[in-house]
Amino acid sequence: MKRLWWILGMVLLASLLLVGCQPGPRAAYGGVIKIGHVAPLTGDIPKVGEEGKFALEMWLEDLEKAGGLEVGGVTYRIEVIHEDNESKAESSAAAATKLIAEDKVLAIIGPYASKQAIPTGEVADRNKTPMISPWSTNPRTTKGRPFVFRAAFLDDFQGFVLAKFMQEEFGAQKIAILYDVASDYPKGLAEFVKQSAEELGMEVVAFESFTTKDRDFSAQLTKIINSDAEILFTPQYYDEVPLIVKQAHELGWTKPIVGSDSWGSPELMNLCGDDCVGSFFSTHWAVAGAKGAAKEFIDRFQSKYGYAPGDVAALAWDSAHLLQKAIQDCGKLTGNLEEDRQCIRDALANISEYEGITGKMRFNAEGDPVKCAIIVRINENYDFEFYKQVCP
Amino acid sequence: MKGRWARFRRWFQGIPVASWLLGGLAAATVERLVGLVVAYTLGLSGIPSFFGLSLILANPAQIPAVLVYLLVMYALPVYLVARATAAWTARLVTRMSTRTYVFVHVVLLFLVVYFWGELDSYRLLVLRLLAISIILTTSLNLVNGWMGEFSVAVAGFMSVGAYVSSIVMVWGFVDDDVFGPAVFPPTLASLAFPFALGLGGMAAAITALAVAIPSFRTRGDYLAIITLAYVFIVKSAVENMEFIGGPRGFMNQPNVAGFPVVFIWTALALWVIYNYTSSTLGKATSAVRDNESAAEAMTVDTRKVKVVAFLTHAFWSGVAGGLYAHVIGYINPSSFGIVKSAEVLAMLYLGGLSSITGSVLGAVLFQMLSEILRPLQLAKWLVIPVVLIVVMIFRPRGLLGFREMRFPFLQPRPTEEVGYAPASD
Repeated sequence: MKRLWWILGMVLLASLLLVGCQPGPRAAYGGVIKIGHVAPLTGDIPKVGEEGKFALEMWLEDLEKAGGLEVGGVTYRIEVIHEDNESKAESSAAAATKLIAEDKVLAIIGPYASKQAIPTGEVADRNKTPMISPWSTNPRTTKGRPFVFRAAFLDDFQGFVLAKFMQEEFGAQKIAILYDVASDYPKGLAEFVKQSAEELGMEVVAFESFTTKDRDFSAQLTKIINSDAEILFTPQYYDEVPLIVKQAHELGWTKPIVGSDSWGSPELMNLCGDDCVGSFFSTHWAVAGAKGAAKEFIDRFQSKYGYAPGDVAALAWDSAHLLQKAIQDCGKLTGNLEEDRQCIRDALANISEYEGITGKMRFNAEGDPVKCAIIVRINENYDFEFYKQVCP
Repeated sequence: MKGRWARFRRWFQGIPVASWLLGGLAAATVERLVGLVVAYTLGLSGIPSFFGLSLILANPAQIPAVLVYLLVMYALPVYLVARATAAWTARLVTRMSTRTYVFVHVVLLFLVVYFWGELDSYRLLVLRLLAISIILTTSLNLVNGWMGEFSVAVAGFMSVGAYVSSIVMVWGFVDDDVFGPAVFPPTLASLAFPFALGLGGMAAAITALAVAIPSFRTRGDYLAIITLAYVFIVKSAVENMEFIGGPRGFMNQPNVAGFPVVFIWTALALWVIYNYTSSTLGKATSAVRDNESAAEAMTVDTRKVKVVAFLTHAFWSGVAGGLYAHVIGYINPSSFGIVKSAEVLAMLYLGGLSSITGSVLGAVLFQMLSEILRPLQLAKWLVIPVVLIVVMIFRPRGLLGFREMRFPFLQPRPTEEVGYAPASD
């Protein structure tokens, strides 16, 4: 037993010495601003998490090149802590709580999918920590939560834009919709498009659904083909769209197919090939035909990571820059977490205009962005080509 | 090796559990008073949430600081207080009846965990999720362990319990878009919460009856398939119910599931399930597992026994689901998919079948691993499966399969050999 005490004593002494050599926190946060990033790095949609992570890494690279972020005359280093939410609601809430309580981050970027962003937004708002979800489109994420913002436009707006586009571009009177009833986003968007289409005087002749992970759509597609629909609209993700489009073509569908922002993944064309060429979808972001800062971002991302960035990366990038602008607008960091978080939130809400790579934007009172939507066409080179901009 | 272990045990034995718990209370108080200051002086960014393990994984240079913190904050106060109070608590504890003994220890345990957890909202959230996992694992153990069947319906029961209790609470106590203004004054929400949870559990048990009646007519693997179907049916059903949000999920649950509430329900669940397994009914359940025909021959009503065990499992899973809904404040049908069931099954088989302490251990280990290993990011899902595989190789029945962890050195046992004198080296 005596020996044990000796060893313990030595360990204590040695560690005290070692600790003495470490610099203690002096300036506000020891000169480091911590930002949390909650993303689905594993689970259903790991590509989304990866793109977000890459975009933030590029942002950090820029900051490092500039020598840090200057806030009120003091230069800070920015540190991003990536947390995996495994695509699960409770893990996302726990990750955000950890970032807020243990890592003491000033703000959070993420989560991406609404089913994680809604409960995580509650955590952030309750702990008075600003959060920007780059990709969530469910109105409840930000509703009644002053500390929660988002960078993507909402589904009701997108639904309206799509309905308008289908009417103006194709003069369509009858449309068919095929969507996943078990997933929040497709279902919501399908309903918004239906509603807007009917308001614009069109008729939804087929409103067909399936559930997540279904791989055979022939029953629904046969019904759609047999109806006299002029356009097929399907707000699905990149793993389902190729199957739907290919099966539709095999069953004899030759009319246009229109999708939504969930199509906008670089993976889509690897899976879909020629079948998707000529389709349209609405999005936050178009790679082909991009100009200026967006073009620069695309080229850098492409050369660094080997594929063109999708809307997730672009929105994460814009979220990070919105946050950076808010921190700078704040003027000065006091070192008091509560005050600084409040200050950043107020600065975010007061951004009058930010010129992002996904368009000019500012936040409305709910923390949702006011910005334009883009319609892209998938061209023969498998690129998502800028086709038209539609503003509210 | 054996001699050293025995010496350690004897040293540990010298101090009753109540004293260790008092020590824990002292440590939690010390941390509350000076934790932040000590952490800052050591160069840490704040109080380490879970013994600094995630800090170490994130940055190994922090090992010395974390060690010092643990020593100063936890080891020293716990040991000093435990040793100082040993003689006093020993006298007190030996005079208690078993009932008071258990009660006092549960209350002390609660105080320690709550005092420690309340310092940090991350701790509180994880502790609550952990408690919910304990209820789920233990209740699933009734069916998969004591009854020897294989059920995967736990996520479905959770879902029913979560939705029913949420609907009751939101309808009753919250001004909601769908359910209109609150029917009762929102201040009464905490009082009504137990009833809502009970209703949720009961609803889960009623749907379980629909599974139990056809499936217990057969033997073998059918239950696994039927319960798998049940999980999918519940998920699809909820997805198609517009009034509770469908796939968009259901939110606005009142904030009534604080740590004390969750702790009480967990203690209650463990108590009920412990009594169940040690009752005649519980013995009959084990008899059905070991040999159904023999049990039948010995006048056991095997069908009734199976149905009761299955419904008890469903009830407690439903209660856990209700707690989960109110802890997270948002539920979504896809949160209760087959993945959730698989998670609980992993906890169960890690801890071991037919063992309450095993279920608790499995739930704690699995949940804590997945929190503590967060800094590893993707590698986390390499480490955890490897841990599971290693456990399955070396302990195929789980860590504590078919046996309870005994705490001989934790019992108040004033023997001559040991005595309750302060331990000396």
